[in-house]
Amino acid sequence: MSHSPERAGVVALRVIRQLKRDRRTIGLIVFAPIVLMILFGYALSGDMSGVTLGLVDGGGHAGLRSHLESIQDFDVLYLGSESDAERLISEGQLDGAAVLGPDEVQVLLDASSLQIAGAIAAAVQAGAAKERAGLETAGRQLGEESAIVMRYIFGYDLEMMDTVGPAILGLVVFFFTFINAAIAFIRERSQGTLEKFMVSPLSRVEMVSGYVLGFSLFTLLQSATTLFVVTALFKVPLRGSALTALAVVLLLGAGALVLGCFFSNFARSEFQVVQFIPLIITPQIVLCGIWWPLQSVPEFIRPFSYMLPLTYAAHALRAVMLKGAGIGDILYPDLLALGIFFLIFFAAATLMLRREVG
Amino acid sequence: MGMQSAISARGVTKSFGRQRVLDNLTVDIPSGVTYCLLGPNGSGKTTFIRAIVRLLHLDGGEMSVLGRPVSEVDKIYSQIGYMTQHKALYPDLTVQENMEFYAGLYGLYKQQRVARLDELLRMVDLLEHRGRLAGALSGGMYQRLSLACTLIHEPKLLLLDEPTVGVDPRLRQTFWDYFERLTQEGKTVLITTHLMDEAEKCQMVGYMRAGRMAAEGTPEEILRLAGLRPILRLWLAEPERDAALLRAEGYEIDVVGGVVLVRLEGHAQIKEVLSNVSPLDMRLAEPKLEEAFLRLSEAA
Repeated sequence: MSHSPERAGVVALRVIRQLKRDRRTIGLIVFAPIVLMILFGYALSGDMSGVTLGLVDGGGHAGLRSHLESIQDFDVLYLGSESDAERLISEGQLDGAAVLGPDEVQVLLDASSLQIAGAIAAAVQAGAAKERAGLETAGRQLGEESAIVMRYIFGYDLEMMDTVGPAILGLVVFFFTFINAAIAFIRERSQGTLEKFMVSPLSRVEMVSGYVLGFSLFTLLQSATTLFVVTALFKVPLRGSALTALAVVLLLGAGALVLGCFFSNFARSEFQVVQFIPLIITPQIVLCGIWWPLQSVPEFIRPFSYMLPLTYAAHALRAVMLKGAGIGDILYPDLLALGIFFLIFFAAATLMLRREVG
Repeated sequence: MGMQSAISARGVTKSFGRQRVLDNLTVDIPSGVTYCLLGPNGSGKTTFIRAIVRLLHLDGGEMSVLGRPVSEVDKIYSQIGYMTQHKALYPDLTVQENMEFYAGLYGLYKQQRVARLDELLRMVDLLEHRGRLAGALSGGMYQRLSLACTLIHEPKLLLLDEPTVGVDPRLRQTFWDYFERLTQEGKTVLITTHLMDEAEKCQMVGYMRAGRMAAEGTPEEILRLAGLRPILRLWLAEPERDAALLRAEGYEIDVVGGVVLVRLEGHAQIKEVLSNVSPLDMRLAEPKLEEAFLRLSEAA
């Protein structure tokens, strides 16, 4: 059977008409990303593990220094001057810094994450106390006690949003497209329309293509609003082109759609589609490198990370938004991987539709 | 397998697990007729229809559809209208949008589509409901819309699985008139139904039982096969005498409570009977197809 773009267009038009009428889903598509963003943006801004502490050593506090170096949760970065420390904190690269001098110990803290600031201040105070106790037992004459001065730096707000924002854009599109597509195909089955298509000139390829086209319009709407929220509300930079970012999201959305179509074969009801969330969505969130860098994912799981589309989409979106990458820069491996993922599941989805025939 | 047959099946079998659903079924459905498949639930009617459109593969036997082997039936899907027991509509689209969608699938656009939509909407009496969401229609309306969508591409072969469920009698008659018009144009209509009075309207009836064709023919032939004949009830001034007279003429006669019952060979015999006796009153009791099938199932 030869494939006709017209028939795929007929399916696309129908899908658009249906979604257009589904106000609740449209509301979800537009507002859920905003809610998610706020949730991720604020609730997670106080991440405690892997605190990076700058250290400017002006001498006189060997004990305090070795105490700070010994704390496992702290990554200590040695800096030349106080101004370097200030700059790095305001850029969000450091969580705080200790400036050690013979007369004074200055603690520079990032005002945007008070939890981390509290942890750093406590560590410095504990270190200073330990140092003094050590000197006393050594029977050394105590000089004038150095003062500890705390100073807050108001620098970069919600620095985590920078790295997470672009990835959330991908996550939101993937999640909703997958769920909506799986449910749409479940309905085609239960309504009897799928069986009717099987006995019509409409081919499986035309049908799935029509769905990809129709859903793409809503993916665009959704990614455009999400992109707007991420950049306008949360001030995540958009250094590359918005069109490039949307292209990445569209390709990811197409992959999520065919994946949803494929998995709809394994669910009997809309309710069962929801049960796919822990199976399909959660691993992507955990392993795609949004929250934890891929380098920290155990090596035996890492190949799995590289099989997930969100890994590539998140990487590409970060490159476009934060580093200003163009299409050419993300072609390999990101767009290529997303394209391959789409093609594999497009084929799988159309083949599974064939298996309807008993 | 001549071109006269719209569908021709020879020794067709299909099993689901250990259950034989079609058991060496042989049937010819001529072109240009309404053919009714009757039979109890699980007798294989729906399985047979699904096999015709290749929604399932046969285990054995041969079948041709519109002159082509069933393995090539996907090449002539545009000539087949298939209406399942599921209505195959989108409840969140309007009546018109549902029809436009199906019209598009079969390559009907613009003026051609507009004209066809109007004609069908009028036939199924949904013209003034075209803007309503299909999900808001009553059961019968939904059914009518489903039929209209099945007819949209003017198929040569119509396969209708229980098409008149929930449709009121007046509109049902409209459907049957429409089907008759289709057969006059040379199209073939294959219908499954539980309703005997509908079967009586078909030109041919096949009675399926346990995956086989238990009886097949015109409704009259089926009645005769079951040994059922129309009965003429006569109220006569002298029943005993006239009964004897008719018996002498060779008629099968019963007298029940003073009423003379004549078992007819056919309707033509009514005139002959009346040339022998002059009843005060009379009534003709037609045998029911239902009765015939009950008898046939008992016999089998």
